[in-house]
Amino acid sequence: MKIELRDIYKSFSEKEVLHGISFSVETGKALGLLGRNGAGKTTTIRIIMGLFNADSGEILLDGRKFRPKDHKIGYLPEERGLYPKKKVLEQLVYLGQLRGFTRKEAKESALYWLERLGVEEYKNSRLETLSKGNQQKVQIAQTFLCDPDIVILDEPFSGLDPVNAQILKDIIRELIGKNKLLIFSSHQMGYVEEFCEEIALIDKGKIVLTGNLRNIKREYGMNRLAISSASIPLEDLRNILNNSLSHIIRVVEKKKNFLVIELINNNTKDELLKALSDLELDIERFTVYEPTLEDIFVMKVGES
Amino acid sequence: MRGLYTVFRFELTGMLKSKAFKVSTIVVCLMLIIGLSIPSIINVFSSKENDIFGEGTVGEEAQQAYGYINKNNAVPNIEDLKSSFTLGRLIEFNSEEKLKESILSGEIEAGFIIESPTEYKYMVKNNEMIDSKVSFFREALAKAYRIYELGEMGISYPDVEHIIYPNIQQDTVILGKDSARNYIYTYILIFIIYFVIVVYGQMIATSVASEKSNRAMELLITSTDSSNLIFGKVLGTALAGAIQVGIVLIVTMISYRLNAGSWGNRLDFIFDIPLDVILIFSVFGILGYVFYAFIFGALGALVSRTEDVSSSATSITIIFVAVFLMSFYSMYNIESILLKVLSFVPFSSFIAMFIRVSMGTVHIVEVLVSLVILVLSTILVGMFASRIYRLGTLMYGNPVKLSRAIRLMREK
Repeated sequence: MKIELRDIYKSFSEKEVLHGISFSVETGKALGLLGRNGAGKTTTIRIIMGLFNADSGEILLDGRKFRPKDHKIGYLPEERGLYPKKKVLEQLVYLGQLRGFTRKEAKESALYWLERLGVEEYKNSRLETLSKGNQQKVQIAQTFLCDPDIVILDEPFSGLDPVNAQILKDIIRELIGKNKLLIFSSHQMGYVEEFCEEIALIDKGKIVLTGNLRNIKREYGMNRLAISSASIPLEDLRNILNNSLSHIIRVVEKKKNFLVIELINNNTKDELLKALSDLELDIERFTVYEPTLEDIFVMKVGES
Repeated sequence: MRGLYTVFRFELTGMLKSKAFKVSTIVVCLMLIIGLSIPSIINVFSSKENDIFGEGTVGEEAQQAYGYINKNNAVPNIEDLKSSFTLGRLIEFNSEEKLKESILSGEIEAGFIIESPTEYKYMVKNNEMIDSKVSFFREALAKAYRIYELGEMGISYPDVEHIIYPNIQQDTVILGKDSARNYIYTYILIFIIYFVIVVYGQMIATSVASEKSNRAMELLITSTDSSNLIFGKVLGTALAGAIQVGIVLIVTMISYRLNAGSWGNRLDFIFDIPLDVILIFSVFGILGYVFYAFIFGALGALVSRTEDVSSSATSITIIFVAVFLMSFYSMYNIESILLKVLSFVPFSSFIAMFIRVSMGTVHIVEVLVSLVILVLSTILVGMFASRIYRLGTLMYGNPVKLSRAIRLMREK
């Protein structure tokens, strides 16, 4: 299964907020939708969910027009909310039924998820009497209620404490393992790096970067290397490299345990290696430098 | 359809289980049961059974004493005066002083000093704004005068009385309906519709707005069609309202039937509502209620906070109250053109047509035409409400005016 967004445009009150969004996502590969606050992530997700109509562009599923109502979709909206005055199980069963389950199926599934998330003891409590963390868990339970094939999570980790975040991480890993199609938006890069093979980076309503995360990292780290020495402190190493090898490399930045250097003037790694061995620097680390997603994110949208 | 049924069931059970529903139903029913049982309760404690209404009994006032002085025997036939004065006992006094004292001490209610057969002085402690005692005495004095003077002429007063006040008998044959008789139950039933629409309409609007404010809306609308949501909500709440009214009416009927004996069947005219009137009341009432409920639901979707509901619903409430008042005042003239027009307009037909059927005679074709108009308009309003609802559901922030929502809907 493959969902494809093609050239999606959207305006609100004559202000265009999405300027031609395109990306695709396949089953078994989670897509991380990244962007700063207000970049257009939630609007894009709401268009996928059919909450808003796009002004132009199309969404395809395996080449055919995608209709959200025809599929089992687990959706965790950015604006969390259920009925505060209704009992937990009662409202989960209701949502399950609305999504096509029978009453019995909905109840079984709701109980399974409440138990899995460790909140089954509150099944007959009114939602508003639960702690914020437990209310979040009920929200997560509703997302996975109907054994969805497509899962769309809008900022799923916001407001979760580390323990709850871990529970959600386990579930997400399981879903990816079960070959579900997963889209999740976040501005917390760590989580995206953990799960997503593919990313789409939105900035001011435009996709500024999309593709396989490993490839992107490699591409962004292509001429960059990480280097450190066992005996020479990083600051001294930086001076030595600047003085002796400035015709081959440029020191880009100092990280905690290594320096990031960039090959210049079409020099190769081999040539650098030879030059380094001549300097007898007691080299401890010499690897291709893979930038973190955060580095790439800041690089792409940070300056703007 | 399944989605619609799920929403309908959820809303209905939610309403029926709610404390507000249970408490209000129980309180209203208890008040009616107690109210209608009062005569029976009094009978239990009272030894004289049929005395509660004071029919044919001597009232408290009849025991009261009044004084008079017949100066110089001004009225020769004083016994005629005494028997004609029905307000109380007349006691003769000899002097004004004694009369005054007795009035001031409260021994007697008031005093009359008769100067001549057609002239008297009225003496009272505190003069009330409307004092009926005087007119009773006046009448008695006039009658005594007539009896005496006619007697002097050799004419018997009872004979003359027959001529002056002949006993005319009237029989009314009502070919249509008796407005006077049906007035009370029509009045009660339209008040029921009025309250149900105002109360439940607000409840629906608040319920929609609260789904927006607690952000459940986004999940609901991605789980099922928006038309299922609004139709299910309106119909579920409508049925809850109908159930509540039904319970109250049945409890009232049963309570009255059980106590009818103690009431001496005096309220039969309220409770003997013809079946066709009940049928029209139910059909038109429920449709009118659903018609307004859709509008209230759509208006609820245009605000983001429950506090804004009442201001958003102001315009429709004004229309509703205006329609109600116009129909209400037309009850005094059920053949008026205004009421006829109102009985076909969907905003008012559920009250106006009901009034016409209940209090007058309406041709079945007119009823059916009005019904068809109401049914079609309700469906249209439902569809319109469903679109407004869909549009309003994700518009947060300031309340959206209905006119702006319609404009936005057209743009799409």
